[in-house]
Amino acid sequence: MAKTEENTTLAPDTTRRRLLQTLVGVAGVATVAAAGPVKKATEATTISLDTIPVDAPVVTSDGKVDPLERMRADLARALQKPVSERRWVMVIDLRKCVGCSACTISCVAENHLPPGVVYRPVVEEEIGTFPNVTKRFLPRPCMQCDNPPCVPVCPVNATWKREDGIVTIDYDKCIGCRYCITACPYNARTFDKGLTYNDDVSETNTIALVGPANAEAYEMAATHEYGENRPRKEGRSPIGNARKCHFCLHRLEKGMLPACTTTCIGRATYFGDANDPDSLVSELIASPNVMRLKEELGTEPKVYYLQ
Amino acid sequence: MQQAQRFLKLTAWGAIGLVTLVGMGAVVIRALNGLGVTNLNFIVPWGLWVAFYIYFIGLSAGSFLMSTMVYVFGFKKLESIGRLALFSALIFLIAGMNFVLIDLGRMERFWTVFVNRNLWSVLEIEIHFYVLYIVILTLELWLLMRRDLVVCGQGNDWKARICRILAFGSKDVSDESVARDRRIVRVLGIIGLPVAIGVHGGTGALFAVVKARPMWYGPLFPIIFIVSALASGSALLTFVLAFFAGKGMAKQERDELVLLLGKITAGFLAFDLLLLWSEFSVGIYGNIPEDLEVMRLILFGPFWWVFWFVQIIFGAFVPLLIIFLPATGKNPKWVGLAGFMVVVGIIGVRLNIVIPALSIPVLPGLDEAYTMLPAPTQAFTTYPPVILTWLNRFAILAALGTFGIFGLIALRRLRGQEAYRFQRGLVSIGTAVAVLAIALFVLRWVGGTAVTTLGLGISGLDLTQTPIGGILGQTELHSFYIPSPNEWLSSAGLIGMAIIMFAVGYMVLPLESKEGH
Repeated sequence: MAKTEENTTLAPDTTRRRLLQTLVGVAGVATVAAAGPVKKATEATTISLDTIPVDAPVVTSDGKVDPLERMRADLARALQKPVSERRWVMVIDLRKCVGCSACTISCVAENHLPPGVVYRPVVEEEIGTFPNVTKRFLPRPCMQCDNPPCVPVCPVNATWKREDGIVTIDYDKCIGCRYCITACPYNARTFDKGLTYNDDVSETNTIALVGPANAEAYEMAATHEYGENRPRKEGRSPIGNARKCHFCLHRLEKGMLPACTTTCIGRATYFGDANDPDSLVSELIASPNVMRLKEELGTEPKVYYLQ
Repeated sequence: MQQAQRFLKLTAWGAIGLVTLVGMGAVVIRALNGLGVTNLNFIVPWGLWVAFYIYFIGLSAGSFLMSTMVYVFGFKKLESIGRLALFSALIFLIAGMNFVLIDLGRMERFWTVFVNRNLWSVLEIEIHFYVLYIVILTLELWLLMRRDLVVCGQGNDWKARICRILAFGSKDVSDESVARDRRIVRVLGIIGLPVAIGVHGGTGALFAVVKARPMWYGPLFPIIFIVSALASGSALLTFVLAFFAGKGMAKQERDELVLLLGKITAGFLAFDLLLLWSEFSVGIYGNIPEDLEVMRLILFGPFWWVFWFVQIIFGAFVPLLIIFLPATGKNPKWVGLAGFMVVVGIIGVRLNIVIPALSIPVLPGLDEAYTMLPAPTQAFTTYPPVILTWLNRFAILAALGTFGIFGLIALRRLRGQEAYRFQRGLVSIGTAVAVLAIALFVLRWVGGTAVTTLGLGISGLDLTQTPIGGILGQTELHSFYIPSPNEWLSSAGLIGMAIIMFAVGYMVLPLESKEGH
């Protein structure tokens, strides 16, 4: 399978993306190789987070508040409320998105996603006819719908909407029937077939670069989704399960913004609590140029786009 | 002659056994390695196995509904195949369940559907229906066979031993006990009727409630499922009765029954075609992009031949011709063949229900948004040239064939003999195909590809400007899924298992009542 793909897709942008993947692969392996320091680094982040004064956002040199710093303050404020009073939303400014796919890649790295599983692709749409064309980039995380069509179809109650609006999956309950995947109007759910990037060594030269053992260690490293520790072992969940974006719930609980939000080079992705009138996202979703995908289906997505 | 027939039979069963063995090996590989052995991907998460699942559930529900004609509505003519219908309903329900099982990402958790029950899920409701259905089915079948089991259990050979076990200690062979059995069967059949409708209508509802897929979403879908189930169920019984079953019946009685079943099949099939027409004509006229793209993919996509050849020509058009033409419609073997063709053709229907609706990404460009798509991608550009090329090939073949037959007729004429009837028939069919294809070929030659594509060569006629123009759109059609070898082999294994179970059951169980009617 992978070979066919290799032969057919050699467009320049693919090469670029592959390079990105390679780079992330290397970075990931580096982190695994230095497992000790990583832990310390995480602790350091937590500590530095505590030092941010909740009521005094960081001001950049030009006198403006960096949206990231403001969102972190918003997040810290929201975490002080009970779960049921939070309402997580994401706002994506399409005018700022340059289609770099950094969010996609950081998501893959954060959640240790195997081939075929993708939580946040960036959909590219070409508008116009050659040579008068322009491109629109549409990052597509899970919409965390208020009326999620994927939830009622699950035969075994393995997926549900949390009080704070995030739609989660219980990997130990899911039987892998994939009904939810067909029911999602945004294709926000994908299926873990149990593949690894190591399956086909010729696929990338990452493996040659870092050595098969290191690559293996990276691929088999545990995912921390939903705050659980799940090493990637054959036959263990989440292999065989449906998987989806969860707004990096495990990071939120530790006071960190979703990986895609922090890595967005254009500051095009915003995240926060819509129940907090003072939050940045509350301001943004009140603007007139706001849009949501497929509103006609009545799913009430909690991902807003600015255009 | 007898020996040749026995040899043929042995070869056929040997082949089926071999395929089943290899296929079950593939199932084991799949069980050990997970769904990585399939070509399913994030665009098309359901594939061949789900298509076979709804196919076999359809065969089962169709067979069962045929049996209710006997035991609920008192349609005495079909009495002699009542048990056979119930038995095939049981076997094919099991086959359908097997396909769901191997399609689960985590097979070992299948039993949790009875623990973690979400009664809002159509799938979970269906599971309840399946359980209820299998209980009713088994009870009905057992009650109908009970006396025959007691009778056959009186011997001393291995068959008698099996009969004794299956009789579950029942010894009553009186006519009153049989009458009592029949009363219970009637009640069970009345309960079973809505359950069977729920079983397959509900399987249709599984798809019909998915608003993310416009092709599936809608109230017509469950009805289509029930009608096509009836068509496949009656076709299966026609085929089985014409070639294998009914050994205990008088030849004339059996032949008449086959012809009757053929007529019933044709009726359901015609109704099914009407629903298909309704679905496609309204959809094409409606011109809603997501819906239309799926139809374009079915009609003109990389697997266009599944619709045109398997589903329409092989599975509906030719069988209807066979059943209604006087020359073939009175011959039970021909009608049985028509039944077989319908049974196979419905596979195409099922494939076209599951796969194309998923093959259109829910957001345009989503398929290219991520390069790690572990699936073969097939691109197929505009359709009519392809069909024209095929027609041209047919034209050449038909023309050659027609000339050949003309030659043969001429030879016979030279000897002073009349031409055979089939020769004349073939000549007319061949000429018709050749003329049609040559006409299209000329149109294309005159007008060029674009003109043929859009206006069929008639100047001033641009079909894309008509209300149905959308279906002729010229964008590329992609298919993101081709079943992997393991998917094919596993399917073959499970189907082989079902056939063997059916045959063994037919040999061992008293599936044909000796009482007659």
